[in-house]
Amino acid sequence: MTPPAPPALSVATRPANDAGAMRLSVWFSITGLLLLATLLAAAFVQARQYTLLNLTVQHQDDYLALNLYQVEIEYLRLREQLRKEVDAPGSPALQLRYDIFVSRVALMHSDRAQRLLTYGEDAEAVMQTVDSFVRRADLYLGSDPRGPLSPQAAAALLSALETLDGPIHQLMLEASHRVAGRVTERQAQVRHHNRIGLALTAFLLAAVLLFAGIALRQMRSLEERRRRQAELADQLRDARIEAEAANDAKSEFLADMSHELRTPLHGLLGMLSLVKDSPRDPRATDWLGAADDSAQHLQRLIDDIIDLSKLEAGTLTLLPAPVDLATLLREVLALLQPLAAAKGLSLRLDSDPALPARVQIDATRVRQVLYNLLANAIKFSEAGAIVLRARQRIDADGVPLLAFDVSDTGIGMDGDTVLRLFRRFSRADDPRARRQDGSGLGLAISRKLARLMGGDLQAQSTPGAGSVFSFWCPLRPAAESPLTQAPALATAARALQVLVAEDHPVNQRYMAALLARLGHHATVVDNGLEALQTLQARAAGAAVPAFDLVLMDVHMPVMDGVDAAAALRALPPPIGQVCVVALTADVYGDTRERCLAAGIDEVASKPMSSVALRALLERRFGNPVAAPGTPGLPALDSPADRSGHSGELPGLLDTATLHTVRDLMGPAGVPTLYGGFFAQAEDAARRMRDALRDADTEALRRCAHTVKGAALNLGLPALAQAASRLNREAGTLAAPHLALAVQRYEEITAATRTLCEGEGLLP
Amino acid sequence: MQRRKLLPLAALPWLAPWPAWALEAPEGPVVLSLNGRVRQTNRGASAVFDMAMLERLPQLSYATRTPWYARPRKFTGPLLRDVLAAAGSHGEQLRAMALNDYRVEIPVADAQRHDVLVARLLDDKPMPVRDKGPLFIIYPFDQNASLRSALYYSRCAWQLKAIEVQ
Repeated sequence: MTPPAPPALSVATRPANDAGAMRLSVWFSITGLLLLATLLAAAFVQARQYTLLNLTVQHQDDYLALNLYQVEIEYLRLREQLRKEVDAPGSPALQLRYDIFVSRVALMHSDRAQRLLTYGEDAEAVMQTVDSFVRRADLYLGSDPRGPLSPQAAAALLSALETLDGPIHQLMLEASHRVAGRVTERQAQVRHHNRIGLALTAFLLAAVLLFAGIALRQMRSLEERRRRQAELADQLRDARIEAEAANDAKSEFLADMSHELRTPLHGLLGMLSLVKDSPRDPRATDWLGAADDSAQHLQRLIDDIIDLSKLEAGTLTLLPAPVDLATLLREVLALLQPLAAAKGLSLRLDSDPALPARVQIDATRVRQVLYNLLANAIKFSEAGAIVLRARQRIDADGVPLLAFDVSDTGIGMDGDTVLRLFRRFSRADDPRARRQDGSGLGLAISRKLARLMGGDLQAQSTPGAGSVFSFWCPLRPAAESPLTQAPALATAARALQVLVAEDHPVNQRYMAALLARLGHHATVVDNGLEALQTLQARAAGAAVPAFDLVLMDVHMPVMDGVDAAAALRALPPPIGQVCVVALTADVYGDTRERCLAAGIDEVASKPMSSVALRALLERRFGNPVAAPGTPGLPALDSPADRSGHSGELPGLLDTATLHTVRDLMGPAGVPTLYGGFFAQAEDAARRMRDALRDADTEALRRCAHTVKGAALNLGLPALAQAASRLNREAGTLAAPHLALAVQRYEEITAATRTLCEGEGLLP
Repeated sequence: MQRRKLLPLAALPWLAPWPAWALEAPEGPVVLSLNGRVRQTNRGASAVFDMAMLERLPQLSYATRTPWYARPRKFTGPLLRDVLAAAGSHGEQLRAMALNDYRVEIPVADAQRHDVLVARLLDDKPMPVRDKGPLFIIYPFDQNASLRSALYYSRCAWQLKAIEVQ
């Protein structure tokens, strides 16, 4: 019945997944930024190193120092040459040596050498001494010599030069130390940078590792997601296979059911043909009995199918009303007692005395579920007892429940069977059992009904030890009321003139017979057009009484029921206002809605049972004529009548209020009061129909509201409830449901009126 | 096809006889002498130049920063490769020698690749010995950053007096 549940795990895990992905991406961004920052820092350090190196290259301190050392060398060479000059004067080499020495000295004056050798006072003094020597020597060896260098002058120069010996050496040593210091300083800087570089590299490594780790995690999570998706795909595939299987089951069911429907039909036709061929055969009664059995079987099957279709289409509406619980349970048991007795089983009711006597339930549907459970229990038990236990229970949310348990001592079922039990089109037993009874839809329908009521149906079973079926619905106690019986049938004042428009000859004959049984006169026509013509002809001829009612089949050749009704309503009164009831076997679609929209007063389902027809006529025309000598028809109706309209109408009259009203108004005032009210209520019904046709829910609501208050005041709770429901739900109910509710209101109005008449409340 | 024709053509300069002109004899005092693998000799096995001969070669000027001067200075003189060509040098390696006996190896490739000057003018004035003259090998440091290193600074021989081609 239920399609395979969609896998819930994927839905549950997805938000967590998303959060994970978000966290991951945040981590990703942080690590990425970290990486970027590290790379930038590394680039900065390298740029710094590059600048430092460039600075060194530009200064060329090392090279400059080398040049400065050469000052000392050239000094030594010049001294050597000057000594030679003193011994052997006139060598041109002296001039060259001197010039080279001066060029070297000039280097010490250059900016860069100054920077390298931040001379102390000593160095300053040395430089001054050197400069004064150069000035002195330039007198003989400069670019513009004053005269040739005499040996005496050479000796004097030599002695002056020799005084520079120590200071120059000192200066060069100092330069050497300073360069060494610079180199050390630079090395320290480079080392420092290297350290930073190393740290950055280590950090970079860590960041890259982190990055890789996160990427790995991401990959894993992707892999995980992919795996989950594959899983999901598998589940979807399984679900599809299951759905296909369910579809196959449905097809198989259709095939089986067609066969099963045909079997009783064959029996029925066979028996009927026997009776037809030999009408005086004494065995005819047996044959008719067999035909009746077949027909009943057929009807049960079709009822089940229709119920399930309605449940699945969502068009089945529950009609809860106050019900005497004990009576209902006794009725159900009484229905099944013969079946149980036939198998030698005891059938017992165990009702909790604490249960309220009257409860608000849809009696028809509760009876249907209980009947089904008990019938199943009887079917599958060969000996022992079947107990129907009714009690009050509180569910987990504290809501009081009305709970029924049906326990048997039958063959029991294993777990798998219990699981399959509530599915559509499946049966616990083997195919041979199908011959016995049922469509196999009973439990599926029962569970759907239970759930529609707000409860459930569950089974517990042990193979060989019997089963317990538990059915519960919310417990809503109803007020105690003595006037609860459905209005008793009384005889109608006159025979009605009924026009039956029906194309099928068998149905024509059936309807005619049915109406005749009830003491009415039927005129049968084949289609909608003929119905119209007949109506007009009858209205023209004064000799025959006019029609009171048209029973209109919806599907007919030439002109169908809906079109005929529409055409009929267009005719001038009084023909145009004749009561029209549509008969249809349609359970689907908008047939009912279309009928009501075309001006049809009421839609009844086919086939129409005698009880339903009688109820219909009673509603429309008061108590019908009881056919002479017909104490009700044989069981054309199944034990649990499911026409949906004959549900109990308890609480029609509230005696307490009635007494109050009587006291207030006096016996004379009451009939006027109630008569006025019913005129108003029936007028309201018509206006509701109009509002329904015009889709004017507000007008509908207003009508219902007027009736509701008055009905309560007059002690007519059922009518008040029906009106209240219309008032409350006019705006929310779908059109077909609303139409049904209006129809329900009309039914209750009619029933209440009948009852009031019986009570002598009406004039 | 083209290539095959070109190859012998490229070989031609090597096979052809050396230019008819010979290196003239110096008139003034010799300032630079090239020894070793030189073909254009004008004094013994050497090719010697006086200042006028160097001045007659194509001259080039550029200003560049150097470690020896605080400011960029303008140097003028013939290109080293022109001097080598004039001497008919056919070696791979040069050894530059200075008045102060400074020696340094210079690959011939340096002269081919860079505009290496045999500078004879500093800021358009002749250089005396006491101002690193009379000749100064100068690399175009400002044109090429890769030249600004101790290696190339050391190749800048000042007070240049001779080049030995090896």
